[in-house]
Amino acid sequence: MDISSIAFANSLILGLSIASIFFVAALGLTVIYGTAGVINMAHGEFIMLGAYTVYALQAFAGIPYFLCIPVAFVVVGAIGFAIEKSLIRYLYDRPLDTLLATWGVSLVLIQGTRLIFGSEPKYVEIPQFLSSNIEIGGLSLGVFRIFIIVMALLLAAGVWFVFYKTDFGIKIRAVTQNREIAASFGINSGQVYSFTFALGAGLAGVAGALFGALNIVLPTMGMGYVVEAFLTVVTGGGALLGSAIASLAIGELQSIFALVTNSTFAQFLIFVLIVVFLRFRPQGLISASGKRR
Amino acid sequence: MTQNLYHNKTLQWLFYLFAFGVIGAVPLISDDAFLLNQLAVYGVYGMLAVSISLCWGSGGILNMGQAIAFGLGAYCMAMTMQMQTQAEGTIPPFMLNNGLDALPWIWEPFRDTTTGIMLAVLVPTVFYLIFGGIMFTARVSGPFFAILTLATLSAFGTIFVDLQPYTNGVNGISPPGSLNLGETEIDPYSSGAYWFVFGLLVLCTVGAKLINQSRFGLVVRALKDDPERVRFLGYNVAIYETLVYTLSGLIAAIAGCSFAVLTQYVSPAQFDVGFSISIVIWAALGGRNSLIWAMFGAFTVQGAQSYVGDQFLNTWILILGFSFILVVRFLPGGFAGLVEAVLGRVARSDSQTDAASVDFSKAKEAAK
Repeated sequence: MDISSIAFANSLILGLSIASIFFVAALGLTVIYGTAGVINMAHGEFIMLGAYTVYALQAFAGIPYFLCIPVAFVVVGAIGFAIEKSLIRYLYDRPLDTLLATWGVSLVLIQGTRLIFGSEPKYVEIPQFLSSNIEIGGLSLGVFRIFIIVMALLLAAGVWFVFYKTDFGIKIRAVTQNREIAASFGINSGQVYSFTFALGAGLAGVAGALFGALNIVLPTMGMGYVVEAFLTVVTGGGALLGSAIASLAIGELQSIFALVTNSTFAQFLIFVLIVVFLRFRPQGLISASGKRR
Repeated sequence: MTQNLYHNKTLQWLFYLFAFGVIGAVPLISDDAFLLNQLAVYGVYGMLAVSISLCWGSGGILNMGQAIAFGLGAYCMAMTMQMQTQAEGTIPPFMLNNGLDALPWIWEPFRDTTTGIMLAVLVPTVFYLIFGGIMFTARVSGPFFAILTLATLSAFGTIFVDLQPYTNGVNGISPPGSLNLGETEIDPYSSGAYWFVFGLLVLCTVGAKLINQSRFGLVVRALKDDPERVRFLGYNVAIYETLVYTLSGLIAAIAGCSFAVLTQYVSPAQFDVGFSISIVIWAALGGRNSLIWAMFGAFTVQGAQSYVGDQFLNTWILILGFSFILVVRFLPGGFAGLVEAVLGRVARSDSQTDAASVDFSKAKEAAK
């Protein structure tokens, strides 16, 4: 193996890691956007809340990291549920206003967090074995990044199970296809939307628990994820498989472009490619409900 | 016949005359250079809010990437101002630091001030024309268009950081001198600069209002309510959408130029997503359907932000977020909608006989 092919293989592995991060960030959004068509601009702040939940649990209660992840899911899911019940459910027929209102929510969440925890960065502690590096024949990757890839697969399997193997999943898919018909068959569509929103928020909380350990925890950390997560979901078309393919493609392409040019320019190329792609295929890779949003 | 005074065209123009009269008279009262400069910058924000009100309030096109035109205009203007201070044959110092020894071709046209200023207005406008044309012929609309403008804005922000030798990266460009138009120097801390920006603000707002009242504006407002129906009536919706989007880009480009002249500094922060969305917030709080109220929205939000003081700044953003949520939820027309409703109630209590027509106009509002 010569140097350049090692570099290429390394960038493919890094691309897989980027893809898993995009996928985890976009998963909650996929659930919310794919089901209710809600453009939730506060998604990045749900991720941020997940990270702060883990930080708070560790700092004030000394709870081990692995236990914090499910708690982050529950806490952020509950916050999402409350926001849906008090605000989002009044706006389902006004998609542009949902987008604006959730931007207001994100302002409030960022500022509220800043008032409670301060603006200085916080750190999430992870078990010793997760913070090492694995090297095989010139290829290297942090164990924590592998952990995120594994979590991405687990979460995807979990969401797939909920959507396709449970009663609740059948209801979600029915409401997604046609809200009125589903309601006339006795499905409480308002309730389904509330719980779907809570599920999406909870998944964002898990993403926050992971990203908080990957980077520093700041009130504004969510801003960096929301545009990318949105582009992933919209490119994918709102379905679970679509988001998986889109994040894999975006992650690998970004990593390969970065090898050829540099990482900022790679990001620029990705943005341009996505805009061009969506111009010609606005419904995304795999359209969840058949109708164009 | 009693009519809702809010809809009276003569009164609307009188209100414009009064409002702009007050704004234009500020330098006669105060000669505080710092205050004048700050108020002139608010005027720039006002222009941005007007531009959003034109494409979102009138055309229903939510454009969250309005900072694209603003940033491009500001950068082109800053490049022009930078080249004015550059002696023949020299290049800006930051280029030397980044390893360039000759002026890049992209900077060449900005040697000439007239060409530079024309480019500062034309580059963003032509970009909007092309981008809008491509998107609207594909019938991209609604939240989807908003997301794509946001993605494009992020792309611009990234590329301006990345092209460090040409744009000085995150540090931005800070021209050492103020803009010279022929023999006159526009000192950003003078009443002259204030009136200059004020004139542009009046021009943009009145121009946008005339567009709204024209036949073209009527079709634009129709397609906000139901684009399909307008299409079936035989209008080419894409052309109308592209044009109103481009016109709003033109206003934002003018705002960007004025911003660079006033602050003598541009950086990738002008392409910031948060800033771009706050333009939408100003217009939404003031009233997206009314140009002048959108402008007041920008004045109120930015003015309050500067004067609440540093220790209350955190609480202020919290209040801003909450009020934004409340306005979107309960008062989609913003302050303007509130004024309209109050005046409508006054008109109704004046004459019960006209109640039916008022109800009709309210029903139209509700249908939006």
